[in-house]
Amino acid sequence: MNPLIFTTILMTVLLGTMIVMMSSHWLMIWIGFEMNLLAIIPILMKKYNPRTMEASTKYFLTQATASMLLMMAIIINLMHSGQWTITKVFNPTASIIMTSALAMKLGLTPFHFWVPEVTQGISLTSGLILLTWQKLAPMSILYQISPSINLNILLTMAVLSILVGGWGGLNQTQLRKIMAYSSIAHMGWMTAVLVYNPTLTMLNMLIYIMMTLTMFMLFIHSSSTTMLSLSHTWNKTPLTTTLILITLLSMGGLPPLSGFMPKWMIIQELTKNSSIILPTLMAIMALLNLYFYMRLTYSTSLTMFPSTNNMKMKWQFETKRITLLPPLIVMSSLLLPLTPMLSILD
Amino acid sequence: MMTYIVFILSVIFVVSFVGFSSKPSPIYGGLVLIVSGGVGCGIIMNFGGSFLGLMVFLIYLGGMLVVFGYTTAMATEQYPEVWVSNTTVMGVFLLGLLMEVMLVLYVLKSEEVGVAFKFSGVGDWAIYDTGDSGVFSEEIMGVAALYSYGAWVVIVTGWSLLVGVLVVLEVTRGD
Repeated sequence: MNPLIFTTILMTVLLGTMIVMMSSHWLMIWIGFEMNLLAIIPILMKKYNPRTMEASTKYFLTQATASMLLMMAIIINLMHSGQWTITKVFNPTASIIMTSALAMKLGLTPFHFWVPEVTQGISLTSGLILLTWQKLAPMSILYQISPSINLNILLTMAVLSILVGGWGGLNQTQLRKIMAYSSIAHMGWMTAVLVYNPTLTMLNMLIYIMMTLTMFMLFIHSSSTTMLSLSHTWNKTPLTTTLILITLLSMGGLPPLSGFMPKWMIIQELTKNSSIILPTLMAIMALLNLYFYMRLTYSTSLTMFPSTNNMKMKWQFETKRITLLPPLIVMSSLLLPLTPMLSILD
Repeated sequence: MMTYIVFILSVIFVVSFVGFSSKPSPIYGGLVLIVSGGVGCGIIMNFGGSFLGLMVFLIYLGGMLVVFGYTTAMATEQYPEVWVSNTTVMGVFLLGLLMEVMLVLYVLKSEEVGVAFKFSGVGDWAIYDTGDSGVFSEEIMGVAALYSYGAWVVIVTGWSLLVGVLVVLEVTRGD
């Protein structure tokens, strides 16, 4: 793609999310979502093969439907409250429709079917943008309307997302689909605590974005999209292998890595609100997630996977320079002792 | 009938939307779009917005739809699909018509009964009062406000349109 046009379109994606996050008028928020959607389509379609076109079409259809539902909820809100400012949504019908629309944009169950298919059909870098940056805008709106969200619907969607994200990722060998199901499960964790303490949603979003960025950059560094090609990294760059191990265990939520922090805080917040069975179920279903991360680490880092190379390390022709990888790795694994700093996030 | 003119026009509006949403060939979609544009203009005019209605006719129908018609005429096929040529298209059209008829009956026959919305009869659509704001007409003030208080909206929508052109060109460019 022409670099100037590519930069313009990328900046428009950023601008769309910024408009969503900064606006106080519901119509501007809708405009921001549409601008975001419109501009990310050519980024998803960077390579012109039928797979990317199909993935972009699926993404466009689901997100456009969600935008339409959002517009309907905005208009019902206007009808019943007579004003356009973002506060809480005053009508229960509008609140339910808006929650469903934002769940469609995020990829929560039962609207999760597009996430693995779209993530699989596009390149790794586009998948990175899709799973991290595109989650910011809907989550910011959910944060803003959180006082008026129907708890039953959101908690149902969250728990089902954690289940589907864990269960659906079990038989996958394609790395992008694994990351997609991991994204569904993490969105479930984030929205589960939204009504109780939205600050923890933002904390989880922050740590999730750091971990997903790290994982995707490690995949891009080793140019691997399947479990098989990832398991050859011990031969190519042994250091990456260790980093993949650490980051995957952090994504699985194991202490003493930073991925444990959001899960711990969320379970604590849920139990403070006298729900015991729910966080127990959520923690048990997170084990499914941990299982396929462990399987990935087993074939990648914990064993020397058989390869056709006879030497200890392959000849390095050229190394890709991935920006910001070391700080991201550090942040996605070592942040747990900083948990008391949560008090600044309010 | 004049009190219910907005309701009648809105029914024709929805029916023409169903007409092009059932996806005949783009030429026939454009034809129905002309009808829906004209009817939409009528609806706006009944609320006192004569400027906006004429804007619809001039810019939308007279500018954008003409260009659309020319480009579609260049790219059309030998036997374009009509509403009755394809079973699917006709089925969707009839389904849309049926839903609109049921909605109209629901609005007309049941007073003050709401499922998710309260349709209080046809009262919402009848024009009793055009909105008295004195000497100034409201919609001209609205357009003026768009360029003064709403400058940010103009910037954002202008940028969206520019990026829309870039995106469409980029997507259809191929390799």
